[in-house]
Amino acid sequence: MAYAAGLAIGLVGLLPILFVAEATVSVGWTQIGSFLLRDRIGQLLTNTAALVVTCVMGCVVLGLAAAWLVERTDLPGRRIWAAVLVAPLAVPAFVNSYAWSSQWPRFEGLPAATVITVLSYYPFVYLPVAGALRGLNGSLEECALTLGRNRLRCFFDVVIPQLRVPLLGGALLVGLHILAEFGALQMIGYETFTTAILVQYQSTFNGTAATMLSGVLLLCCLLLLSGEVAVRGRARYSPIGSGASRPAAPARLGLGRWPAVSAVALLLVLAVGVPVVGIARWWSHGSGLSPELGAALLNTLRLSAMGALATVVAALPVAWLAVRRRGPLSTAIERCAYLTSSLPGVVVALALVTASVRLLPAAYQTSALVLAGYVILFLPRALVCLRSVFGQIGPELDEVARTLGASSVKRFSRLTFPLIAPGLTAGVAFVFLAASTELTATLLLAPTGTVTLATQFWSHSDSLDYAAAAPYAATMIVLAAPLTYLLLHQSRVVRGR
Amino acid sequence: MPSRWLLAALAALLALSACSTPGSAAEDPEALVVYNAQHESLTGLWAERFTRDTGVKVVLRNGRDFELANQIRAEGAASPADVFLTENSPAMSLVEQGGQFATVNADTLAQVPKRYSTSTGKWVGIAARSTAFVYNTARLSADELPASMMDLADPSWQGGWGASAGGADYQAIISAMLELEGEKATSEWLAGMKANFRNYQGNNAVLQAVNNGEIDGGIIYHYYWYRDQAKTKENSNNTRLHFFGNKDPGAFVSVSGGGVLASAKRPEQAQQFLKFVTGPVGQQVLAESSEFEYSVGSKVPSNPALKPLTELKSPLVDPSQLNGPKVIELMTRAGII
Amino acid sequence: MTPALEIRSLRHVFGPTGVLHDLDLDVPAGSITAILGPSGCGKTTLLRLMAGFDRPTGGTIRLTGQLVTGNGHWVSPEKRNIGYVAQEGSLFPHLTVRRNLEFGLSRAERRDPRRVAELIAQVSLEPDHLKRFPHQLSGGQQQRVALARTLARRPAVVLLDEPFTALDTGLRATTREAVAAALRRVGMTTVLVTHDQGEALSFADQIAVMIGGRIAQIGQATEVYEAPVDLETARLIGDTVELAGTVSGDGRHAQTAVGPVVLRSDTPPGPATILLRPEQLKVRTGPGAWRVHSVEYFGHDYLMDVFSTRAGLSLKARAAGTVEYAPGQSADVVAAGLGTAFPLASSRS
Repeated sequence: MAYAAGLAIGLVGLLPILFVAEATVSVGWTQIGSFLLRDRIGQLLTNTAALVVTCVMGCVVLGLAAAWLVERTDLPGRRIWAAVLVAPLAVPAFVNSYAWSSQWPRFEGLPAATVITVLSYYPFVYLPVAGALRGLNGSLEECALTLGRNRLRCFFDVVIPQLRVPLLGGALLVGLHILAEFGALQMIGYETFTTAILVQYQSTFNGTAATMLSGVLLLCCLLLLSGEVAVRGRARYSPIGSGASRPAAPARLGLGRWPAVSAVALLLVLAVGVPVVGIARWWSHGSGLSPELGAALLNTLRLSAMGALATVVAALPVAWLAVRRRGPLSTAIERCAYLTSSLPGVVVALALVTASVRLLPAAYQTSALVLAGYVILFLPRALVCLRSVFGQIGPELDEVARTLGASSVKRFSRLTFPLIAPGLTAGVAFVFLAASTELTATLLLAPTGTVTLATQFWSHSDSLDYAAAAPYAATMIVLAAPLTYLLLHQSRVVRGR
Repeated sequence: MPSRWLLAALAALLALSACSTPGSAAEDPEALVVYNAQHESLTGLWAERFTRDTGVKVVLRNGRDFELANQIRAEGAASPADVFLTENSPAMSLVEQGGQFATVNADTLAQVPKRYSTSTGKWVGIAARSTAFVYNTARLSADELPASMMDLADPSWQGGWGASAGGADYQAIISAMLELEGEKATSEWLAGMKANFRNYQGNNAVLQAVNNGEIDGGIIYHYYWYRDQAKTKENSNNTRLHFFGNKDPGAFVSVSGGGVLASAKRPEQAQQFLKFVTGPVGQQVLAESSEFEYSVGSKVPSNPALKPLTELKSPLVDPSQLNGPKVIELMTRAGII
Repeated sequence: MTPALEIRSLRHVFGPTGVLHDLDLDVPAGSITAILGPSGCGKTTLLRLMAGFDRPTGGTIRLTGQLVTGNGHWVSPEKRNIGYVAQEGSLFPHLTVRRNLEFGLSRAERRDPRRVAELIAQVSLEPDHLKRFPHQLSGGQQQRVALARTLARRPAVVLLDEPFTALDTGLRATTREAVAAALRRVGMTTVLVTHDQGEALSFADQIAVMIGGRIAQIGQATEVYEAPVDLETARLIGDTVELAGTVSGDGRHAQTAVGPVVLRSDTPPGPATILLRPEQLKVRTGPGAWRVHSVEYFGHDYLMDVFSTRAGLSLKARAAGTVEYAPGQSADVVAAGLGTAFPLASSRS
């Protein structure tokens, strides 16, 4: 039964890929060839690849350094830093870009794109690495020290290999986000495949150029995904052990203490301070709150809430299959979800528009379609949270509960649900966070007259009306802040204290 | 216990979901659905006044020219749209070619001069805008200005000008060039453009860049300059507008169109709306507003701050001949988008 | 009296491999049966089939006379009234010890505070353990709580799947004692699965030796230890001393490298393998044909290798710790007690 549900979800997730594939196939090889082998494509490829490389490197270095400083040294105030370092998750990348480009319009090109995206995405690496460092077994490093390695070599030879899985997972997430990023890059005029796709779609909707670019983007995503799998190897996301491992003693920073604190503070000033100050400045120029803000807020809450619920429910069978019935089919379904979600929102939205117009007109321009878009786009976020909790609950618990006379209802309510609750909460928070700032798919799929915080922000900032955009940006951040905290808290619970 | 919190939160979320969207078409089935690619600020004024005068509620779906046109094409007869308003005419032609427009009422068509509507009577002009060259007064003197828009492809202009190539506005201007100069000349010009121009996201960004001195000049529509001048002038205080005149492609006046969908659920109100927009009241609303687009209907004079339409010496272009998809193809081939 | 558990002709396959072949087993009510076997012999599969977690390919299982598996009939685990303790970690991590114990109780029983106090005392744990969470207990304490939890429902049979294997050696013995005491106190029918012979011998009344998906031998501990049905079974139960020998004409003696051995039962004369246990070899230091080769001292006893150049043999011998042995000593080795002979023609090894 779980298989049926999982398959259904997998198939829905396949829609955008089928959409792109069908359009590409109908174009014909010679046209594809002449389209792809052009300077412009080369330029887009270079831009996209360059940004992926610089941003991933930047995020890995920053995320790793921040995680190490907070979890494994005696950095002063590290408990506070640990929470605040996650704060950039509450600031959408396009708001970050708005803050930087509105205050320094000359800051552009690869350096600007790298700075903005690294500041927005480093938490994707920081969070899992920090969690892993917390659970590392210190005795491994102590052994290495007795075998003659100094502390630095110990770090590279013993600690880093154990961090392979979270580092790769975080890097993958960053890479996929860069490939799908639109708003932030559009604002500073940095052209990548996604921005080019959007320009084409705005001009031609289903045009061949647009779908071919999407095809190339899909291939890039596939490349990243297979790269991550290849480098990760057989290592699995590790379940929590029975608590036997001993954490290593924190490294002493000594004189390096205050430079380290300054560095972390600087990072936060750039990542959170700049957007907050920027928004405050522009808000003071503007005319204050408008009634549309209320409508936009209500819509955002409504759509994000429904989207979060729907996504988590959809993720349940897929996660269950992936953990309990590991096999080629369940892996395929999971991989499909990752692949589709790495497409830009506009491609997913267009596939849904086309599908609904052709197959199910009653669903067109209803909230249901927006939700379908959110589910497709954000399924992996929910999957990641659910997988880790499912991994901790072995089938033996269920079997023992049966021998204690518990019916399946009782088993679910008193055993399964409480145990997966932290994962469910994290999943709901994570998806809500993403849905409340989603832009391009919402633009296309929302019923006429429905505006969200993100779409209103965009229409104002696009016409350079920064002052009018400021309240929307501020509201998005205020909305996201408690969710980010919840996510942090749940990720700590999930990883076991 | 954490799971109790979760249950409470889930219940709250579910309750929240049950609320309906304020302002959506689903909420008010009697409202007129307008797919609006014109500036929301302008159409908002029209909608408000129309509702005040007739009592008919209007709901706007805002987007861009081609986005909405293509969406209407994809939706087909199932489209919920009653009225389609654009900024430029190529998008109207796109929908007209799909046979999705109903004929506009004769009395509405009569309100607008023929050159601003399509000859088939399937859509009518509601406003107009002129192409212009905005330049930085410190960097360019009057005799250094280009005589024709075609000059901008010369190597001497490399790095000197900018435009928002991804937008429908600019694509409409190129479609006029295509119609006036032919495909070969336009392709060559586009190649020169690719080498010389700098791309920006939107007309306002071009204006800002010219003002900053990043570029010497840019191709925009006139009203962006006027709007900024009427507000804080912070994006245009170092600039002036130059109109090419001479029936040059760079003097192209683009028509904003309005049409009634053949599949409209409220055809009468739709026709009524179009008549209102092109009528004396609607056009007066435009002329008195701070939108600064040209009025075209009912002989209502445009905003007095503007250079009158008759003085612009714009080239005569049949709006229905402008080929949007072809322009996209040429620009894609030139590597601009 | 009806056995608490009755298994007939049980067969099970995993894909192409057969795991259980025509297995028969009777477990008398109130007894503790240990199923002893090497890894992969199918003992865990057998236990899971008894519990109802899997369905066998063929055969029947009866619990207190009721058919629960077989002939197209199958009762789900919830309805079987059977208890199950896994190797480790079967306590619900999000519930306290008290709530774990209460999980299987009826509402009325939960309200009665004496019931839970009774349960915790049964497994020799303190009442203040009740408010702790499973991760705050040691492995042995967790297993005891798991047992108490199953006993709470007064099942017909309790199944233990290698419950002490995951524990530290120090804890193993005390936990085993506490568990055995609790089970005997209530007279609970128990089936324990293990690969540890010491555990099986000390814990159970009845041992079923399982090899290759079949029960090779079933009987009391002493019986199985001293009179194994074949050499493979013998090796599973404990260390062996296998000597080549000749059974005499009267079938009651055999001649071996350690001299004459009295046989347990009549055996056909001729060449045979004679089975003894290491503690049956008496090693007397002094002049003799044997030499002590290596010695492992355990405090309470010695386990040593004795070597005979004449016979070209090395044998294991066990002796009490009261006498001192050291490598290099020459010694004399004789057999004591009864041996079992397996004629070569028919011995299966």
